[in-house]
Amino acid sequence: MPRYIVERTFDSGLHIPVDQAGAETCLAVVGRNAEEGVTWLHSYVTSDRSKTFCVYDAPTPEAVRRTAERNALPVDQISEVSVLDPYFYR
Amino acid sequence: MERARHLRSLRSALDAVAGGDGGVLVLLGGEAGGGKTALVREFCRTAEPVLWGACDPLFTPRPLGPFVDIAHDLGGELHDLLEAGAKPHQVAAALARWAQAAARPPVIVLEDLHWADEATLDVLSLLGRRIAAIPALVVATYRDDEIGRAHPLRRLLGEVRGTGSVRRLAAEPLSIEAVAALAEPHGVDPAALHRVTAGNPFFVTEVLAARGADIPATVRDAVLARAARLPAAATTVVEAVSIALPHCELSLLESLVAEAAAGLEGALAAGILEVVPGGVAFRHELARIAIEESLTPYRRIALHRAALDALAASGADATRLAHHAEAAGDTAAVLRFAPAAAEHAASIGAHREAAAHYARALRFAGDLGPAERATLLERRSQECYLTDQTNESITALEQAVALRRGIGDRLGEAAALSLLTRRLWCGARTHEATRAGHEAVRLLEGLPPGRELALAYSNLSQLYLNDEQFDETVAWAQRASDLATTIGDTDVIVHSLNNHGTIELLAGRPEGLAKLERSLALAERPGLEEHVGRFFIHIGWAMTRTRAHELAPWLDRGIDVCDELGLEGWRLYVQAYRARLHLDRGRWDDAADDAGFVLRSAESVPLLRILALTILGSIRARRGDPDPWPLLDEALALVDGQHELQYRVPVVMARAEAAWLGGRGADAEEATRDLLADAVARRASWVVGELAWLRRLAGRDEPVTGVAEPYLSQLAGDAGAAATRWEKLGCPYDAALALVGSGDEADLRRALAEFQRLGARPAAAIAARRLREHGVRGLPRGPRPQTARNLVSLTRREVEVLALVRQGSSNAEIAARLFLSERTVHHHVSAILRKLGVSSRTQAISESARLGISTPT
Repeated sequence: MPRYIVERTFDSGLHIPVDQAGAETCLAVVGRNAEEGVTWLHSYVTSDRSKTFCVYDAPTPEAVRRTAERNALPVDQISEVSVLDPYFYR
Repeated sequence: MERARHLRSLRSALDAVAGGDGGVLVLLGGEAGGGKTALVREFCRTAEPVLWGACDPLFTPRPLGPFVDIAHDLGGELHDLLEAGAKPHQVAAALARWAQAAARPPVIVLEDLHWADEATLDVLSLLGRRIAAIPALVVATYRDDEIGRAHPLRRLLGEVRGTGSVRRLAAEPLSIEAVAALAEPHGVDPAALHRVTAGNPFFVTEVLAARGADIPATVRDAVLARAARLPAAATTVVEAVSIALPHCELSLLESLVAEAAAGLEGALAAGILEVVPGGVAFRHELARIAIEESLTPYRRIALHRAALDALAASGADATRLAHHAEAAGDTAAVLRFAPAAAEHAASIGAHREAAAHYARALRFAGDLGPAERATLLERRSQECYLTDQTNESITALEQAVALRRGIGDRLGEAAALSLLTRRLWCGARTHEATRAGHEAVRLLEGLPPGRELALAYSNLSQLYLNDEQFDETVAWAQRASDLATTIGDTDVIVHSLNNHGTIELLAGRPEGLAKLERSLALAERPGLEEHVGRFFIHIGWAMTRTRAHELAPWLDRGIDVCDELGLEGWRLYVQAYRARLHLDRGRWDDAADDAGFVLRSAESVPLLRILALTILGSIRARRGDPDPWPLLDEALALVDGQHELQYRVPVVMARAEAAWLGGRGADAEEATRDLLADAVARRASWVVGELAWLRRLAGRDEPVTGVAEPYLSQLAGDAGAAATRWEKLGCPYDAALALVGSGDEADLRRALAEFQRLGARPAAAIAARRLREHGVRGLPRGPRPQTARNLVSLTRREVEVLALVRQGSSNAEIAARLFLSERTVHHHVSAILRKLGVSSRTQAISESARLGISTPT
């Protein structure tokens, strides 16, 4: 299954509260993703919270976009990636 | 015990249905012997009312088998319908009506769907898609390890997913604790038991019931060990019951075993057999298989023969009779019952089963005369054709042709050849198809003219239609139609009218539609379903070719009609054309959904895969998503050796556009060169325009003739006029593509904005680069692509224009007020109308008010 980086821009910034409601929001996203075989691994968020870089395993880019639609998340760009670790070559 | 969680899920689903929110479909998967039945039985103990139907493990199951079981209990409308030979959509509707009329929401159980026949799957598909409107809990069980990628059930599971009304449960193997709890009273080592059985509930219970010293290594051994403990009389009964499917009626049992009563008692007491509605059966299919396989061949054949005699005398289902006849090796019986079973299956739309029955008959047809064998082959070919098994269809028909030729049946040979032309075309063997078509006409013109000749003429016209040769298509269609009218053959009239109308529509002549509609009207009678499907496919083809989107409503209707008539392959074509429609209209998510569905479902028809692959590839290329090229490369491989435009154009255009978007204009130019010449020769003006414009964008400026609007305008340099036409056609991407080739800065800005709105990143980058080449600096990031959920967002300038529109100002007045050119104001107003989804200023005023968009007063 390919790995993707999904770039998203949030006009009013991404704000997920650090409490029960926030946890439920994230798990709801995970649940809706599962319907399409999409796995959200983790995300990198810029300091001003306007942009995220989300790491996903998914069968196709279309599946990523479908789950984004269902989760009301914007999609700027999808890139297929593989992991490079500096200590790989030791 | 561990099933408590699943029982709770089922219970909550039933509560949801009872709460009036609409029905729920629960799909329960698990391995064989995984305890699905036990779970559902436990749940149904406290539920009421319950309807129970199971699919047969027969190689060719009874069509609508589980619904026959249900109707048996229910009686009434459903029973009458099935007696009269109902089609799947009628069965689904009758069940829905019954559920709506019931006092409490019923539980409908459909077991073992991995064995389901095609008609049953159609009913389940219809129920699944409309479950929100049916107040019932439908529980469907299946063996998830027995449905491979190509299994029809897997496609259905993909189809009905994704809504709250469809839930999935999985019956997992027992944990070691659960096994220990079961094993404890018997003193069996739980660790060893768990290891050998892998937690499979059936295996565990069989082992424990056998009470042997050792743990048997396989399920089969466990079942046989348990059965070995039975007294002889019971063993005889168990063996007899093992060959009877779907269950063994008591009357049948008495024909198989003399004085079965005592033995039956013993078998029931031991728990190997159980009483079911209609007779007795094994507690589990795995047990039945183990016992049946342990019979000596002699005994097995003898039992099947006795069953065949008994059932034939009592007038049982042809499917069961054919099954026993084959197992008994009774050639005459197979040849009697298998074709009958096939015809019955075909009549209610279970075409896969019909094809399998004909195959069975053919296996036993060694001594049949060539003419009879040819008939069986022709019928099998038809059923394979209807179920997207193109290669098998062709092989069967080729054999039939050879047989007919061998006995000098020229008429039969020619008729089969004529049919073969259509099949060969479907299998992408166009040269062979044309050869067969002309050969058929040659043979038939040597005989008195009749319907076979008319059909052969019409088949030739179809071949030329597919090659888009206008004059040849019309000529052969005319000959076919004249002869068919003389002899009164509606089938051929419908076929040739369709060909004639389609080639006219492709050439942009609207009178073609009237011919097509007339062919549809004539085709709406039994036996001409294929022609109905063809109508919708050709509408789709002509509509997408000439962007005649006013024909779009036909496509949705076409999908419904094809589903109702059980026309799987046709429905996929219509869906592929709908995907193209969505692509052209900028609804890329919908296009990806439809194209993805077709790709998952299209087994053997190359054109279907080509259509879907190129659409999906184009979407990825236009969005800048990874990776379009595997899809486009597969499409290229599929088109190898094809000459027809409808094969080559999608592939060449998608690859050329993707190359241009990727900055490789030279590749685009090279890929399109040959096709352009062929398109000009065919006078396919839309194709010529599309190709010529992409070549222009890639930097090639050459004269070209025979181009349709709007391409004509944009090639002549009037990008604005072309864009307006494209917007009227509802094709925003093509409008932007027209503008991006312009030298005018305002045009390029418009193109950039539109590409950004659509999420077409590579094209937007090209537009931005061209603007920078014009010396423009500081380009706007632009509005983000609008998803359906997002509210309309007008730019600041558009809001100003809208304010003045609301005040009733004309474009000239607005231009004066805002110090813009009238042309620019016109562009802004177009953009406002498009964003609001309306087509006039008056509508824009009311729509913007409805949406609460405030403008400066």
